[in-house]
Amino acid sequence: MTTTIQSPAAVGTSRSAAAGGPGPRRRRAITIAAARPWLLLAPALIVLAVLLLWPLVRVLIFSLQDYGLREIVSGDTNFIGVDNYVEALTDPQLWSVVLPNTVIFAVLAVVCTVVLGTLVAILMTNLSALWRTVVGSAIMVAWAMPAVTGTYVWVWIFDADNGIVNQLLMGAGLMDEPFNWFTNRWSFYLIVLINVVHHGFPFVAITVMAGLLGVSKEMLEAAQMDGAGPIRRFFQITFPSLKQVFTVVIILSTIWDFKVFGQVYLMPGGSGTNRSVLNLGVWSYVESFGQNRYGFGSAIAVLLTLVLLVITIIYIRVLMKEDEL
Amino acid sequence: MSRKITAARVRRNVIVGVLVALLLIFTLFPAYWMISSAFDPNAASGARGLIPAEFTLDHFIYVLNDGGFAVFLRNSLLVAVAVVLCSAVLSLLASVAVARFRFKFRTSMLLMILIVQMVPMEALVIPLFVQVRDLHLLNTLLGLIIVYVTISLPFGIWMLRGFVAAVPVELEEAAFLDGASWWRMFRSVLLPLVMPGLVATSVFSFITAWNEFIFAMTMLGGASEKYTVAIGLKQFFGENSNDWGSIMAASTLITLPVMIFFIIVQGKLSSGLVAGAVKG
Repeated sequence: MTTTIQSPAAVGTSRSAAAGGPGPRRRRAITIAAARPWLLLAPALIVLAVLLLWPLVRVLIFSLQDYGLREIVSGDTNFIGVDNYVEALTDPQLWSVVLPNTVIFAVLAVVCTVVLGTLVAILMTNLSALWRTVVGSAIMVAWAMPAVTGTYVWVWIFDADNGIVNQLLMGAGLMDEPFNWFTNRWSFYLIVLINVVHHGFPFVAITVMAGLLGVSKEMLEAAQMDGAGPIRRFFQITFPSLKQVFTVVIILSTIWDFKVFGQVYLMPGGSGTNRSVLNLGVWSYVESFGQNRYGFGSAIAVLLTLVLLVITIIYIRVLMKEDEL
Repeated sequence: MSRKITAARVRRNVIVGVLVALLLIFTLFPAYWMISSAFDPNAASGARGLIPAEFTLDHFIYVLNDGGFAVFLRNSLLVAVAVVLCSAVLSLLASVAVARFRFKFRTSMLLMILIVQMVPMEALVIPLFVQVRDLHLLNTLLGLIIVYVTISLPFGIWMLRGFVAAVPVELEEAAFLDGASWWRMFRSVLLPLVMPGLVATSVFSFITAWNEFIFAMTMLGGASEKYTVAIGLKQFFGENSNDWGSIMAASTLITLPVMIFFIIVQGKLSSGLVAGAVKG
């Protein structure tokens, strides 16, 4: 049998063709070969279509309705056009509270996560094997802490009555009486920031470190011989060769930090009672399940999705340029 | 000259040492505070020192017996294992299709899978709640399992396709030339070679199912005996005061197994992650 082999699919085709001879049999074999990837994909595609794509279409449909508890029970539709979007976009709360909370927080969190992660990655490459394992394990501990329990631990650390932070600050004479960190919008988000950075930087550190280990040692040594300092070496050699790693890390972090939900929702006042700490995700959830305004909540969710879609498009464009899919 | 170098080296070591110490404090303190509060009899009543003066197992005993946490642990384990098995099978099949075959709409499908991965959970909570209700699966673990399989699938497909693509096609061709069927080749050539990737993705789908909060809260709201660990914690929060001893003991029960597991598989995990995320 002398056939040129290109892919398993081609092999399968030529084998059955050789066995069955020319004509309709051969055509059937080709059809089977063409169907094979779709057979493999079918289970996953069915699940994704039923439970991801259809719900996504549905959230669009809900967002154009006055969809409340009555409609959810009866199944009736009550289309009101773009009223939900108009209401969300003209709500002063969106511009003064929700959007700043979402965007400023995401930007700060991404910068802190990526900078800290990169610094830790550089530090780790400079450690002996033993200490690298120690630091690596410590990072894994921070990473493995689930968002829910992690949030509760930070709430306990900053607890207004008996938290260790208040006790230490009072013990050091910096404060006279306990401070409630959760009522103020800025200190509230400071705790969210510490929580999210603590949970998120290990991913950056591990990914960047893997990239750093691949950077050419010869080039770095040559640059050092030429008198380039560590900072210049980082920005002129290390950073350019890790550009793709940084792109992935920055955009994934951006998407995660825009979507922060549990870390806000589970903190005191975060579930809607303190409206000055709402972000897009929590606002959508609170309107839907707290106020039973599923249509309005859906409209907010669509707005959040649109923001993330723009980021995703940038992500794909960057990826596609570097490496075809 | 050599003294100067030694002095510089000592200074460098001191700086690195201080940085490592600060890093260890930042990464480990929350875990330390959680575990030590769980064992500290004074945690529930309020003020406690940096190091517990006494040790007690009372918080754990209370949480497991009266708090119903043993049931929540069992629910979570059941959900997580089912999710791992289902999403491993589905995402492996799909990733073979996109990594090994060239077919129409392949690129657009990959893009769709990538975009779907970026959709915020908040956008899906409302329609999935309605969907699961229409399937009459509200307040059941099966409903939650289906939802978790769906949200871990895109990530699994995206990550595994890198591993499948890394297996040399020549090996598969050799198997075919030896007369193996497609299924035989899949089982004895492809599967063993993508095992590390399958382990890494399984870890991530396990963690998703173990930690997920918002869907569990929405879909199991009416049946407290079906709670998973992530939402079971809520009951230790009171109107005016929180039972911090129990919260930290329950949090320790949830987190510690994951932490130990992460530390053991850290090398595999990070290489798997990098292979999936960067080479993608």
